[in-house]
Amino acid sequence: MILQGVEDAVLVGLLLLMIGMAVTQIFLRNLFGAGIVWSDVMLRILVLWVGLVGAMVASRQDNHIAIDLLDRYLPERAKVYTGFVVRLFTALICMIVAYYSLLFVQMEFAYGDIAFARVPTWLCEAIIPFAFTVIALRYFLLSFVNLKKIVKFRS
Amino acid sequence: MIPYILALILILLAVLGTPLFAVILAVSILGFHYLDVNLSVIAIEIYRIAETPILLALPLFTFAGYVLGESRTSYRLVRFTQAFLGWMPGGLAIVAFVACAFFTAFTGASGVTIVALGALLYPALTRAGYREKFSMGLVTSSGSLGLLLPPSLPLILYGIIAQQMSVGATVSINDLFLAGILPALLMILLLSFYSLWENRRNPIPYQSFSAREAVAALREIIWEIPLPFFVLGGIYGGFFAISEAAAATAMYVLVVEVFIYKEIKPSQLPAIMRESMVMVGGILLILGVALASTNFLIDAEVPMHLFNLIQAHVTSKYVFLIFLNLLLLILGAILDIFSALIIMIPIILPVAVNYGIDPVHLGIIFLANMQIGYFTPPVGMNLFIASYRFKKPVTELYMAAIPFMIVLFAAVLVITYWPALSLVFLQR
Repeated sequence: MILQGVEDAVLVGLLLLMIGMAVTQIFLRNLFGAGIVWSDVMLRILVLWVGLVGAMVASRQDNHIAIDLLDRYLPERAKVYTGFVVRLFTALICMIVAYYSLLFVQMEFAYGDIAFARVPTWLCEAIIPFAFTVIALRYFLLSFVNLKKIVKFRS
Repeated sequence: MIPYILALILILLAVLGTPLFAVILAVSILGFHYLDVNLSVIAIEIYRIAETPILLALPLFTFAGYVLGESRTSYRLVRFTQAFLGWMPGGLAIVAFVACAFFTAFTGASGVTIVALGALLYPALTRAGYREKFSMGLVTSSGSLGLLLPPSLPLILYGIIAQQMSVGATVSINDLFLAGILPALLMILLLSFYSLWENRRNPIPYQSFSAREAVAALREIIWEIPLPFFVLGGIYGGFFAISEAAAATAMYVLVVEVFIYKEIKPSQLPAIMRESMVMVGGILLILGVALASTNFLIDAEVPMHLFNLIQAHVTSKYVFLIFLNLLLLILGAILDIFSALIIMIPIILPVAVNYGIDPVHLGIIFLANMQIGYFTPPVGMNLFIASYRFKKPVTELYMAAIPFMIVLFAAVLVITYWPALSLVFLQR
């Protein structure tokens, strides 16, 4: 619960930062003819962060966009089974992506590039493995909920 | 043999409700694995989200739309449009179309139009004497009207995806914004004529124009009137880039709704921000992973093969357009608009360009078809939202929406075969 609160706060904070910086940049550019040099780069990275943290929050209740063409018309009981498979599959895919993006971030760490100001590129990219790990964990949990229901049906 | 079995399994998983991003990721993982490419490339592609400046507009416009959806803008908009357009024959129906179009343009066709405006318009229409079935169909089908008007999110998203493709002709979002205006007006016009004709034996009493009500309604909405001018004037006056217009809109809406109208308490803001960013997260995640699979598609020259295959059977651009319309209608019926854009544009756009279709025109055709998909079964979002909101069965709403669907389809045909309607304001 506390972690969810932190996550929400981070998401809201990132958005506020984004709006604030973007508006400041407009004023600076129009009034003084020049903005903060690294601000545009930071704004673009904020978009990635907001998107991935938003995606993490969306996985709490399995709120991701899906083509639930068949799912909508399945009986309640069958849904529990398909839900288990679907969620486990999603979790596994996210694990794979998390692992390989971690390798990518390690590589970038070795290069030591700077993204903007003094912030290294690898730090900006670190959100990718982090977000996919969190999403994977959430889908493992969701599939576990379905598994518990299946066990309950059986007994 | 094995690739086909895998593809079948993935399709099955997708229709059973696997999140789309996971399905696309699975395709890329398999594809890159097959091509012997290190899977870390997926992370590189996702990071391209941070290398696309225009994407900044997406979270900012979405947030502004959510704030507008939560405040009483819908009420003010209906009152204002009614005060100025209500005196015309068929007044209230026209009011409904215009109000819905404006509201949807700003709230991004997320279904909030039906919840916020439908709740006001449906009782008003039946009270004014419109038949229930007509009112129901109108509200259900108007929830996606305005998709073609700036700054609607699907329009921006189409531009972003098309820019990633580099198909020769440039696709700027400024051009897309201009291109959508006349087609959207055509839709409103045709729908208005239809409602006049439909109610020819059902005379609705005229409402006379009241200068006093007009002034009162204007005074009430005065802080929101600048919004469209902000966006359009700012961009075409050369004051703003698109993402700057988005930032200004977000900031303006925030200040106006929280501090001037005081309809949103500061304590409500975190929840609104979270909800809007969850939606942005969902879209950006799919977009990010699709960047990876798109690259794989282009490497494998899938669009080129597809073009050659179609070219062998269809040589005429006009016949191709018919098939395109049919395909898009079906897609619109089974996919939501964001998934449809992200998955299909990379495949359809290169093929269409090869047939000599302007990419901007293609965008308008694509979205005009998708707009109809919003209220076609089995997954038309408007049907489910309206059904939930008005406590009517989906089938009843679907039947009520059919005449509107036919009218909009006529509009789609005009839009498809009359490119100048979309391209007239563009310098090309």
